[in-house]
Amino acid sequence: MPAHDDSAALNPPVYSCGDDLVATDCADTRTAQALADHLRKSGEWLECVAGIASCVARFDLAAVSPEEAAQRMMSALRTVPALHDAEAKVIEVPVCYGGAHGPDLDDVCELLGMDRDTFIRRHTGNEYTVEMLGFTPGFAFIGGFDAARDVPRRPEPRVRLEPGSIGIAGGRTGIYTLPGPGGWQIVGRTPMRLFDAAAEPPFRLSAGMRVRFVAVSAAEFAAGHAE
Amino acid sequence: MTLRIVKPGLQTTVQAGPRTGQRHLGVPASGAADPLSLALANRLVGNAPFAPALETTLTGVSLRFEHECHVAVTGARARAWLNGKRVKLHRTLAVAGGDELAVGPAKAGARNYLAFAGGIAVDEVLGSASTYLPAGFGGLQGRALRAGDTLAVAPISEAPEMLKTPKAFRPPAGTSWALRACYGAEVDLLDKESRFDLFDTNFSVGNRADRMGLQLEGASFGVKSGGRLASAPVFPGTIQCPEDGRPFLLSIDAQTIGGYPRVAQVARADRHLIGQLRPGDHVRLLWRDTDSAREELLAKHEYWREWLPGISTII
Repeated sequence: MPAHDDSAALNPPVYSCGDDLVATDCADTRTAQALADHLRKSGEWLECVAGIASCVARFDLAAVSPEEAAQRMMSALRTVPALHDAEAKVIEVPVCYGGAHGPDLDDVCELLGMDRDTFIRRHTGNEYTVEMLGFTPGFAFIGGFDAARDVPRRPEPRVRLEPGSIGIAGGRTGIYTLPGPGGWQIVGRTPMRLFDAAAEPPFRLSAGMRVRFVAVSAAEFAAGHAE
Repeated sequence: MTLRIVKPGLQTTVQAGPRTGQRHLGVPASGAADPLSLALANRLVGNAPFAPALETTLTGVSLRFEHECHVAVTGARARAWLNGKRVKLHRTLAVAGGDELAVGPAKAGARNYLAFAGGIAVDEVLGSASTYLPAGFGGLQGRALRAGDTLAVAPISEAPEMLKTPKAFRPPAGTSWALRACYGAEVDLLDKESRFDLFDTNFSVGNRADRMGLQLEGASFGVKSGGRLASAPVFPGTIQCPEDGRPFLLSIDAQTIGGYPRVAQVARADRHLIGQLRPGDHVRLLWRDTDSAREELLAKHEYWREWLPGISTII
């Protein structure tokens, strides 16, 4: 947990991320999600967002002092309910690996010391859990790809990624649903549309869902993309 | 009442208030990059502070009115013309059908706001009329405006009062900015020297500067995250520092989660200024502890309340 001057007024393990942001570290993503949900239900916060291993809440600095906000976060930590089981639904996500759709696949394979086929077999051989949506609308953080635990983000983010790009970093798979910048190592791309502002609900995936990746050819990608 | 875009400029969008309370779904704030200037424009035409209006980027805009209307321009330092004749910013302007209003390039600051009595009539998506370009929703079909686009303005029952923004309430747009900021959660991942330099560097805004965020150049910080930091929530005003040592300041369209060390957070009181930063501008960060940041926010609200009674919902 970071320590800095501002935290003197705050009781650990709650710490400041800025004048109107308080945070706490969590054991894992599910714990962070549960705390964010709990905070949100109280109606006392402007935003309650879970990270991979932390939860940050934004409060109305005009109405609430940083110290009061920290106290509220502390008491929420004492009252957060126990976790319940994740939804069982499994969604198949088609992925075209490598080539123009996955420019970092070869680098990732080299880092992991495995060939492409082995990588694809490992990545498609498991069921994963959507840990959270974030980064941009519907961007899915999908945990449980332990083989890639040591794959770092790219040192410099790419300025533009295509929607549907599938990235790998730190043992996780991420799906970019929108065009835009991103720092994950891109191994493939899905033709599946995961966010549609006009649909209800607008997000295809949600935290807790189970996901399986299915390898498809470039031709199948093109066909799926055209749908 | 409708208006037609003649020259759209670099990036003109419909912007209103931010989307709030949906960051856990990955939905960014969006909305006016400089919400104070949006509210000032709306004030001059009798609208609520966050009524949908136009936000320009660097190069201005020109448009033609098809019916009579009241309009006001605020924001960046720029010239404006009504039918070729200079008009002033920060005034209620009465225009007639066929009139053409042009806002020239921003000479200082980056964005101008054009508000219309009644507000631009567009549907709300995910709780706001604001355009979020990366996902293509909100505003007019989720995109920047093009020549020939027509926008409807909501009807009003009576014409607004003809107003001028008092001089004391016209934020100056310059090329040098000071942003008050608090430490971010991972400031300790900067080496000792970089921690000092963070608040002792005359940064310049890089060419990568848009509604998502702005590159701050002029320093190369030592960071020790090894690229394996657990992704954590970020917000408009968060300053992240990737391993390349070049800090990046997130703006109003910022993503909700980031994987780079959060070294500082621009104080709420000064976040509206981020929307006026342009490439080449100078930026200094002024360190504040969180209690001082709060006192200064309350003081700023107190100052602005006289002209903008809803200031605490605006900035």
